[in-house]
Amino acid sequence: MPNASLLLEIRDLHVGFRIFEGHLRVLAGVTLWVAEGERVGLVGETGCGKTTTVKSVLRVLPIPPAIVTSGEILYRGRDVLRMHRRALHVLRREELTAIFQDPLQSLNPVFTVGSQLRDIVRDSMRTPEGRVLSRREIEARCIQALEETGMPDPERIMSNYPIQLSGGMRQRVCIAEALSTTARLLLADEPTTNLDVTIQDQILRKLDRLVDQKGSSVLMITHSMGVVRDLTQRIYIMYAGSIVETGPTRQLLASPKHPYTQGLMASVPRLTGRGVSEGIPGRIPNYLEPPPGCRFHPRCPHRMPECSVEAPPMSDVGADQRAACYLYRRSPS
Amino acid sequence: MAKYIGLRLLQSVFVLFGLSLLIFFIARVVPGDPARQALGLLASQEQVERVREQMHLNDSFPVQYYYWLRSLLHGDLGVSSYTRRSVASDLAQYIPATLELILFATLISFVVGQVTGVLAGYFRNSWFDGVSRLVSYLGIATPSFVVAILLLFVFSQVLKLAPGIGRIPIMMQPPPVRTGFMMVDGLLAGRLDVTVTALKHLLLPAFSLAVIHIAQEGRITRTSIVETMQKDYITLHKVHGIRTSRILFKYLLRPSIIPTVTVMGLDFAFLMSNAFLVETVYMWPGFSRYAMTAMLNKDLNAIVAVVLVIGITFALVNLIVDIIIMFLDPTVRLRQGGA
Ligand SMILES: Nc1ncnc2c1ncn2[C@@H]1O[C@H](COP(=O)(O)OP(=O)(O)OP(=O)(O)O)[C@@H](O)[C@H]1O
Ligand code: SF4
Ligand SMILES: [Mg+2]
Repeated sequence: MPNASLLLEIRDLHVGFRIFEGHLRVLAGVTLWVAEGERVGLVGETGCGKTTTVKSVLRVLPIPPAIVTSGEILYRGRDVLRMHRRALHVLRREELTAIFQDPLQSLNPVFTVGSQLRDIVRDSMRTPEGRVLSRREIEARCIQALEETGMPDPERIMSNYPIQLSGGMRQRVCIAEALSTTARLLLADEPTTNLDVTIQDQILRKLDRLVDQKGSSVLMITHSMGVVRDLTQRIYIMYAGSIVETGPTRQLLASPKHPYTQGLMASVPRLTGRGVSEGIPGRIPNYLEPPPGCRFHPRCPHRMPECSVEAPPMSDVGADQRAACYLYRRSPS
Repeated sequence: MAKYIGLRLLQSVFVLFGLSLLIFFIARVVPGDPARQALGLLASQEQVERVREQMHLNDSFPVQYYYWLRSLLHGDLGVSSYTRRSVASDLAQYIPATLELILFATLISFVVGQVTGVLAGYFRNSWFDGVSRLVSYLGIATPSFVVAILLLFVFSQVLKLAPGIGRIPIMMQPPPVRTGFMMVDGLLAGRLDVTVTALKHLLLPAFSLAVIHIAQEGRITRTSIVETMQKDYITLHKVHGIRTSRILFKYLLRPSIIPTVTVMGLDFAFLMSNAFLVETVYMWPGFSRYAMTAMLNKDLNAIVAVVLVIGITFALVNLIVDIIIMFLDPTVRLRQGGA
């Protein structure tokens, strides 16, 4: 429930992409929030719009082709979508941080790790008295940030170029960059998808501890049920551009109510991250002409006539658990 | 890294060797009898025979090539049938004049092209982008000699803001020739007035040559900035709070400038032989004009030298471009240099 300590609130966000073939209606009313100190998971199969959601919050969608057609994004009550350049810059510098999906694309290839890390610390960190950090302090902070991610030999890594590092090392650098400063909300977009399973686990645990120490809030995007189960308190399930179900993580995973979530659970190979959509017949819809009404209806085993008329509203389906589905329309509240 | 540069040098030598074979073929094999060519139709058979002997024309082609290359390396390029001077001293005079001009043109196109390219790319679809696009198209579509005539007319004739033709005024006593670069020679002779005047004379022709390259290189940089801006790493630099100016002129510029550098090198080498119309408009005693005159007058020795100079320029410029790119792009450096 939204309350006073709300950090991030996305209300009914609609985002599309104008491409040559037409208008891709990707996000169709995403509503979610993250409270102060909370860890929230966002789960959904590939192409459902998770990255688009994160980039909207950071205001880094490529415009054009992207367009935000309606909705609101509030950070501590302030409207991010209407913020001016200056305020936006301060918001990113002081409040938000992110880790992106692909560690190969996340580091500038023509500068050393040290150069990038130092500039982040130099431009966004101040001493408690508001003074700019000295050279030595910057250096020390960078080394420390790398050490915290479990990176061996951070001094040497600082002088390396990204191509000299393995995928796992690069992702550690990305985590170090994201956590080198004192941001309050971490948007982690599948921080370990491209790594092998043992390293995934290691890095996530490290990330988990770091976030704990700093007391940051996290919006963790993943298609791995194992990851959300271990690392988040609350979860949102996303399908084709909207949230279909939300609730406390363990409770929701134990008793999923939305037909999509149920299919998802049935198909999840225990704890390994991959293959979310395998058990559900059909594919994610074409965003040029998304199915009317509930976007899941072409694949839904419980579909009813009204499902293809209008999108279903959220209904309570348990303690703090809600699903957007006509099956629960008359559920007692 | 040294290994990589060494390797590229070796490659250049190889290319030049190939070029020398080609030129040898043009100079010695194609014309039929170079001795007769050199002496003219009126010379007697004995005279021709004597010269044939001197020029080693009775030996096999490999032996001929050896002697030809040896004299070439000693700077003996023969006599120009048109200027009646040794080709080597012609080149010594004309090459620096053109180099001074096109180096300056390249500098102008680099600075102006990059700044407009970066700004147009970063402020994509702004009024600045629109205006710079329009001006670029005009610049690309207008031949450089038209620009040259227009600039000469407007700035020299009408506004009297710039001097007219030539490298320095005819009345001015030129400094002793040391490097052939008027500005440098002026400095070396302690004649600052010459250097300043020479610079003023350079402005219009250099700008005339630069216009099309400003336009092209600016466009290339803009495209590449727009492309780089979509990259996750630039997005993350913003998200992590790095200052905008730092992103613009450090993190965005360096990866974006790499494609432009290659084009810039080619543009420079191209100007070496293609500045002749502008050189003609400004009565610039340059290499391009010399090359054109040589072609028009079937001045064989001069043509051989011109082709050689252009070949060497391309080889050198390519080498320099590769080295610059190696410094800009660690991916190339690390891959080629073996750490
Ligand atoms: N720059 C773009 N131009 C056009 N369409 C885009 C663009 N970015 C995203 N899309 C569209 O938006 C849809 C959702 O993309 P998004 O990257 O948000 O998905 P995702 O949930 O992050 O998927 P994944 O798990 O594969 O990362 C894609 O199917 C794609 O069609
Ligand atoms: S609303 Fe209808 S189609 Fe959509 S999930 Fe519920 S039952 Fe299935
Ligand atoms: Mg994604």
